[in-house]
Amino acid sequence: MTTEALQDRFQNLVEEHKKILYKVCNSYCKNPGDRDDLAQEIIVQLWRSFGAFDERVRFSTWMYRIALNVAISFYRRESVRSRHVISGDDQLLEVVDETASRSDEVQLLYQWIDGLDPLNKALVILYLDGNNYQEIALVLGISETNVATKISRLKQTLRQEVGVKQNGTR
Amino acid sequence: MELDELKEKWTEHDKKLDLSIRLNQQLMRDTYTRRAKSALWRLASMLALGSIALLVVIVSLGAFTAKNWPTPKFTIPAMFLDIAAIAALAALNAQIGMALKMDYDQPVATIQKRLETLRKFRIRYIQAILVSAALLWMPLFVVAMKGFFDADVYRLFATSWIVTNVAFGFAVLALGIWLSKKYRPDAGYNLNAASGFLATLAEFEDDHSPQERSSMRAYSPDE
Repeated sequence: MTTEALQDRFQNLVEEHKKILYKVCNSYCKNPGDRDDLAQEIIVQLWRSFGAFDERVRFSTWMYRIALNVAISFYRRESVRSRHVISGDDQLLEVVDETASRSDEVQLLYQWIDGLDPLNKALVILYLDGNNYQEIALVLGISETNVATKISRLKQTLRQEVGVKQNGTR
Repeated sequence: MELDELKEKWTEHDKKLDLSIRLNQQLMRDTYTRRAKSALWRLASMLALGSIALLVVIVSLGAFTAKNWPTPKFTIPAMFLDIAAIAALAALNAQIGMALKMDYDQPVATIQKRLETLRKFRIRYIQAILVSAALLWMPLFVVAMKGFFDADVYRLFATSWIVTNVAFGFAVLALGIWLSKKYRPDAGYNLNAASGFLATLAEFEDDHSPQERSSMRAYSPDE
């Protein structure tokens, strides 16, 4: 395959799965400037690994692995706030008035995800995106039983936290 | 509110996203081709420059040792420096090897563990460089003066001056550690953060709940 053809294929696949990129960036970065930087880093890493992409693996699984690995590393880096790789005019990932269309529940969900540690964040994103336990286990590198245990524990935490919030507002 | 109810809301929201997100196709193409190349180039340059510089130092110190073999007062400090340079080269290549083996398309737990191990290794490497700089500056001074100017430090300066400087190196090192502990209690933060995240990863990979883990720790077969 020529470089041009490879680039076109890559671009089409990323376009098709851009929601993964969006959700990962939004869950790991609150600041819009950081989100752009993270989106760019993920795309660069995806492109770097694309040559070795194994067709037997689903593209979404492959993309999740890379996006989450880059996002967790990015999130853990200390100097995130001071880095600005691209200017505000050159945004790679453009979001058109998206926050306005978020319902209160989705907003609440994002707030809850924000309070989780980077690994559980990854688990919740994968679960909410409708991946089954086997796929989640494949992306995260833990056993299916472990995924099930953690999901049930997270459900319990959410129930308790939302319960506390609701009681507090009453 | 249950997680599964929120999952439905998330899926509903997901359907609307197609219209609101756009990938800047032209910029995407420019960005990934340009940055992917420059990052690889930077990595390759670091590998080449670091290794070449250390190799030059190792070879030069080897030549110096051979030339001054009958005079242990020069060869012993040179051998100390040579050992330190070989260790630094090995550590540098180990880091580069770890970095090159990093495939981001591997499972999250695997890659994060490797990244954190590399991070911890790098912190230790830098600490070792700083410690050796405080301790090896005197041997370096002796070898550099002899190698570049053919000057004998032992003759130019009294033995007591040399001993004082070696002791001074140790004192600076001890003082540095004490000051950093007293005034910068977060100085070891990076190392603690790396170790802490490795522990979090181990827990994440563990099937047992924190309660189960603590009860397992509390359990003793002798009871």
